Amino acid sequence: MLSRSSAFRQFLREGEASFRRNGLMTVAAVTTVTVALLTVGFAIAGGLNLSHLAATLNTQVEIVAFLRDGMRPAEVTRTQTAIAEITGVAAVQFVSRAEALARLERRLGASPAFADLAKHNPLPDSFDVRVRDARLTGAVAGALQGQPGVEDVTYAAQVVDRLVAVTRVMRLMALLLTVALSAVAVIVVTNTLRLTVIARWREIEIMELVGATRWFIRWPFLIEGMLQGLVAAVAAGTVLLLLYALAAARLRTGLPFLPMVPAIDLAAPLLIAMIGCGVALGAAGSFVAVRRFLST
Amino acid sequence: MVQLQRVSKIYPSGLTALTDISLRIDRGEFVFVVGPTGSGKSTLLKLLYRAELPTHGRVLVYGRDVGRLRAGTVAGLRRTLGVVFQDFKLLPQRTALENVAFALRVTGTPTSELIPRALQALDRVGLAHRREAVPAELSGGEQQRVSIARALVHDPPLLLADEPTGNLDPDSSWGIMQLLSRINLRGTTVIVTTHNKAIVDVLRQRVVQLADGRVARDQRQGLYAVPV
Repeated sequence: MLSRSSAFRQFLREGEASFRRNGLMTVAAVTTVTVALLTVGFAIAGGLNLSHLAATLNTQVEIVAFLRDGMRPAEVTRTQTAIAEITGVAAVQFVSRAEALARLERRLGASPAFADLAKHNPLPDSFDVRVRDARLTGAVAGALQGQPGVEDVTYAAQVVDRLVAVTRVMRLMALLLTVALSAVAVIVVTNTLRLTVIARWREIEIMELVGATRWFIRWPFLIEGMLQGLVAAVAAGTVLLLLYALAAARLRTGLPFLPMVPAIDLAAPLLIAMIGCGVALGAAGSFVAVRRFLST
Repeated sequence: MVQLQRVSKIYPSGLTALTDISLRIDRGEFVFVVGPTGSGKSTLLKLLYRAELPTHGRVLVYGRDVGRLRAGTVAGLRRTLGVVFQDFKLLPQRTALENVAFALRVTGTPTSELIPRALQALDRVGLAHRREAVPAELSGGEQQRVSIARALVHDPPLLLADEPTGNLDPDSSWGIMQLLSRINLRGTTVIVTTHNKAIVDVLRQRVVQLADGRVARDQRQGLYAVPV
C-alpha cells in the first residue's frame, strides 16, 4: 500500500496536472466561479455597508432626561452613575441648564430675546443619554423615568420607530440577497465543473472498472475544484476590493455624511470569506459533479 | 468460483434481461456464453463485476455474495477480476504501457512497481515491443491485447470478456481467442460472451446458450448451435 503522505502528494500532482492539461475548460470554470464570487462579494460588501449604516444610525438616537430643580451635585452624580448602569445605555452626559441654553442659542441663532432668557433661564438641568441600539430606546426611556431626580424623559419616538423598521428591512434584504446569490453561484459552479468531469468520464469509468476506490477517484477532482475556487477567489477579491476602494473614495467626497466601511477594514474579512467560499464551492461542485458518474 | 442461484434481472425500465438463471462455473474453466443480441449475455457479466445488481437470487463470486457487498468493498472485488470489452476502453492520450500502468496506479500500487509489472503484463499478451504506442497507432487486435494486459495486471483468478472480438477482423479475432485460451491454460478462469460461431465451434469449450434471458443449453465441449 501507498503511504498516506505519498498518496496525498500523488493526488496533488494529479489535480495540478489536470489543471494544466484541461486548459480551456479550466479557464471557463475559473471565469464562472470568479463571476459568481464577484456577485456574492458585491452582495456581502453591500450587506456589510447596510449593516454599518444601520448600526451608525442606531447609535445616534438620543434620549433626554430632565432633572428637577435644585438637585445637589452629589445627587446629580449618583443619578448619572445609576443611568450609566441601565442596560442598553451607551453613554450619558450631563448638560447643565446654562449649557442647554447655549446650545439652544447656537441652534436658533443669537436674537434679542435671548438676552431676556439668559436672565431667567427656563431650562432645567438634563442628561443626554445615547443608547447602544435604537430598538432599546423604549426600554431605556422607561428605566430613566424611574431614576431619582428625573422629572421628564423625551425622545423622538416616531423617528426611532421608523429607524428601527428601516434598518430591520435593510438587514433582511442584505441577508436575502447574499443567500440568493450564493445559491445561484453553487448551481452555476456545479454545472461548470460537471463539464470538466464529463470531459473525463472515460477515465472515471476505467478507474471504477479496475478497482479504484471512490475516494481515490474523487480526490483529484476535488483538489482541482478547490484550486479553481482559490484562483477565482483571489481574482474576484482583487477586482472587488479595487472597485470598492474607487467607489468609496468617490462617495466619500460626494456624500460625506454617508457612513461607509473603509476598504482597508473590508479587505481581510472579505478576502477570507471569498477564499473560503471559493474553495468550498469548488470542492462541493466537484463532489456533486463526480458523484453523477460514480455508479457504485 | 462463480455461482448464480435463481438469478433474475429486471431493469428499472421494466425490461427483463435474465429470468431464473442458475449456473456454476468452477476454477480453471473456459466458458463461452452465446446467444442473440438482447439475450442477456452482457447483463450476466455485469452481475459478476457488479455493474448491475440482481433483482432476485444470489450471485456468488469467490464465494462472496456480490449483491450484498457494501459500496466501499466493490473496488476490492474489481481488483480481483479482469474485465475486457468490445470497445477496449483505452485512454487515447496514453501509451500502451501507461494504459496498463494506469490500472495499477489508481489502485495504490507503489510507484516503483508500476513499470515492471505493466511491462510484464504487456509481455504476456505479446506487446512489450509496442509499449510506447498510443491506441491510435495500434491495430484493433493490438488494442484489445493492451486491454487484456490491463485486465491481467492484477493477476486476477477470473477474467471476463464481453464480446472481445466484436470489433475485430477474423484474423485478429483468432489471435485474441488463442490468447484467452493460453491465459486459461495457465489457470485463470475465463468467461467470454461472443457471436463468433467459427471460433466457438473450433475451440470446443463449455457453451452456455442464453435465449430470452434463460439458459437454453449448457454443454461441455459444445458447439455454437445445436446441429439440426
